[in-house]
Amino acid sequence: MPGPDGTGLPGRLVVEDWDALTFRVNRVAYRSEEVFQAERDRIWARTWLYLGHETEVATPNDFKTRTLGGRPLIFCRDADGDIQAWLNSCPHRGTILCREREGSTKLFQCFYHAWTFRNSGDVAAIPGKDAYEAAGEGFLDSMRLRAVPRLESHEGFVFVSFDPDVPPLLEYLGDAADYMTMISQQHEAGMEVLPGTQMYGVRGNWKLGVENAMDGYHFSPTHNTFVGYLRETGFAVTDDDQYAYNLGNGHSLLVLTGHGGRISMLWEPRFGEDEKVRTEAHRAEMDRRLGPERARYVADESHILFVWPNLLLFDLEGLSIRQLEPVAADRTDVRAWQLAPRGEDADTRALRMKTMVSFVGPGGLATPDDIEAYEAVQRGIEATAADTRPGMDYSDMSRGMVDEVKGVQGRSIDEGAMRGFWRHWVDALGVEDGLAVSGDRPERFLEGRNVR
Amino acid sequence: MTALIGGREITRADVEDFLYDEAEILDAWKYDDWLALFEPGARFEVPATDWKGESFFESGSFVTDDWDLLRARVKRLKSRKAHAENPPSRTHRMISNVRLREADEPGLLRVTASFIVHRARDGEFDAYVGRYDHLLVPGDEGLRFRRRRAVLGHEHLTAGARLSFIL
Repeated sequence: MPGPDGTGLPGRLVVEDWDALTFRVNRVAYRSEEVFQAERDRIWARTWLYLGHETEVATPNDFKTRTLGGRPLIFCRDADGDIQAWLNSCPHRGTILCREREGSTKLFQCFYHAWTFRNSGDVAAIPGKDAYEAAGEGFLDSMRLRAVPRLESHEGFVFVSFDPDVPPLLEYLGDAADYMTMISQQHEAGMEVLPGTQMYGVRGNWKLGVENAMDGYHFSPTHNTFVGYLRETGFAVTDDDQYAYNLGNGHSLLVLTGHGGRISMLWEPRFGEDEKVRTEAHRAEMDRRLGPERARYVADESHILFVWPNLLLFDLEGLSIRQLEPVAADRTDVRAWQLAPRGEDADTRALRMKTMVSFVGPGGLATPDDIEAYEAVQRGIEATAADTRPGMDYSDMSRGMVDEVKGVQGRSIDEGAMRGFWRHWVDALGVEDGLAVSGDRPERFLEGRNVR
Repeated sequence: MTALIGGREITRADVEDFLYDEAEILDAWKYDDWLALFEPGARFEVPATDWKGESFFESGSFVTDDWDLLRARVKRLKSRKAHAENPPSRTHRMISNVRLREADEPGLLRVTASFIVHRARDGEFDAYVGRYDHLLVPGDEGLRFRRRRAVLGHEHLTAGARLSFIL
C-alpha cells in the first residue's frame, strides 16, 4: 500500500500502544526492497558511518579497500601520515581504482588508462596530458581523487559521512563517545586491531543483527550450549543486574555484569592461575591510572555498544569490532576485527584469541546460533507477508514496557534498547505516519547513563 | 608417494583412506567417531579468509580450538540445542590433490589436500572450497590428527556463512 508521502513506503511501520503496553514493528521493514532503498538514501547516505580503525592503516601509505553503504572506498594513511577516505573509483571513467584488498602504496594507478593518483588525492600522472592542457589549468584539479565528504575519528575509530552537513562526530556520538573512550583506557599502551578479519554474509536484514546484539532475552535459550560450556568452566552466568540503555541518536548500550570474565581485567577460573596474577597487577595499575571508580566502569563491566547505524562493539571477555554492511533487504555482510592491547603478554593474547573466537564469530560456539536466528526470522516472516488481518504482519518488542512507564531502568533481558533503535529508525526514515502512537506516551524516555 | 615416519612407511593411499573415512564420518554426523580421529591435545583451526600465515594465538580466525574447545564443540554439535545444526546441515565432501609433505617436527606427517564441502540447509545449497593442511601422527591404530586445519579459498564467506558444521 503506497504511503501518503509518495515514497511507496507504508505508514504504521512502528506501532506503540501505551494502553495495552505493546510495541510492534511492521515486518515490511525487514523484507521490502523499497524500505532498503529508502534506508540507503535516508540513513546510510546521511549519517556518520563507521569506516575502520586507525591501527588498520598503522603506517604511512597503508591502505584497505572496503565497501560502505554500497560504495567502494579506499581507507588509507597518506604519505604524510594523514588518514584519508577516497571513493574507490577513478575520476576519469569510474573504474575501480584499487583492486587490492589491502597493501601499501604511495600511488594508485587505474589500469584502464593508467591515470595515477597520490594517496593524498592529487593527480600524479595522466598519459598524454598535453591533450587536456588546452582545456585550461583547472583540468588536473578537477580530476583529483573524490574524497568522502566528511571524515573524523574518535579514540582511533574512524567515521565517514557521505553527507557534508552532518554535525561534528563527537556531537553525533553523544553519550556513546565515552564508552569508546573507556575502551581506549583499558590499557596504558592503547589498543590495536589485529590481523585476521572475520568477513561473512548472512541471509538476514541488517536490523535483525542490531536487535540480536541488543537483546539479552535470547541469550539463555539461543545460546543454551554455550552457556552450558561456560558453566562447565566454572562461571555462573546470570541475568541479574544487567541493564539496557538508550544513549540517544539511535545509539544503545547493554551493561553486562553477570556475563563472564574480562581478560586482564576481571578474572574467572577458565582463564587459569597465571592469568590471575597478571590480572591483579594490571587491575592495580588501572586503579592508579584512572582512579578506582572510573577503573571499575572500564574494567569490571562488560558492554555491548551499538553506534548507529553500522557499528557494534563487543567489549566482553575481549574486544571485537563488528561492522554491518547491508547488501539487500534480506542480506547483510558482516566484518569483525579483534581489538587488543598493544604489546600484550603472549599467553594473555593467546587466551584472548581463543576466548573471543570461540564466542563471537561465525565459527564459534555461540554466533552461529545468532545467525540461525536472523536467518530463521527472515524466512519465517514470509508467513505473514501481505496478510490483511490487523496486526498479523508485526513483530512484538513490548518486553519491559510495564517498567518503562514507571520510569524504571530497563534490563538487558527487556526490549527497551530495541524500542529506542526502532524509534530512531522510523524518525530517520522520515515516513509520514511511519510511527503510530496510541494511549498516553511518556513525555520522555529514559536516555543516557551517568557514570561520571 | 610414501613417507617414512618413525620407522613406519605411510603411503598416499593410507592418507587418502584416512581422509575419506573422516569425510564419511562427518557427512554421517558421527561426531564421537570424528573426535576419536584426534590425538588428545590436538587442535582444529580455520583461519580467516585474509590470513597471511599469522599465528592463531595472535590474530583473529574462524576457529582456533584447543583440545578443550574441540571437545566442547563436539559436545555442542551432539546437543539438540545446537540450533544452527538442528536439524543438521546435509554435507557432501570431496577431497583431492592429496600430497604428503615433510613436517617441521620429526614423527609427524604434513598432509595437504583440496576440499569441496557442499552444504544443504534451509533450501540453500552452498559450496565451501579450500585446502587442508594437517599434521598427522602415525600410531598403532592408524593415523591421528595432531593439527587439523582447513584453509578457505574464498575472499570472504558469502551468505550462508555460519561455520556451525565442521569444514
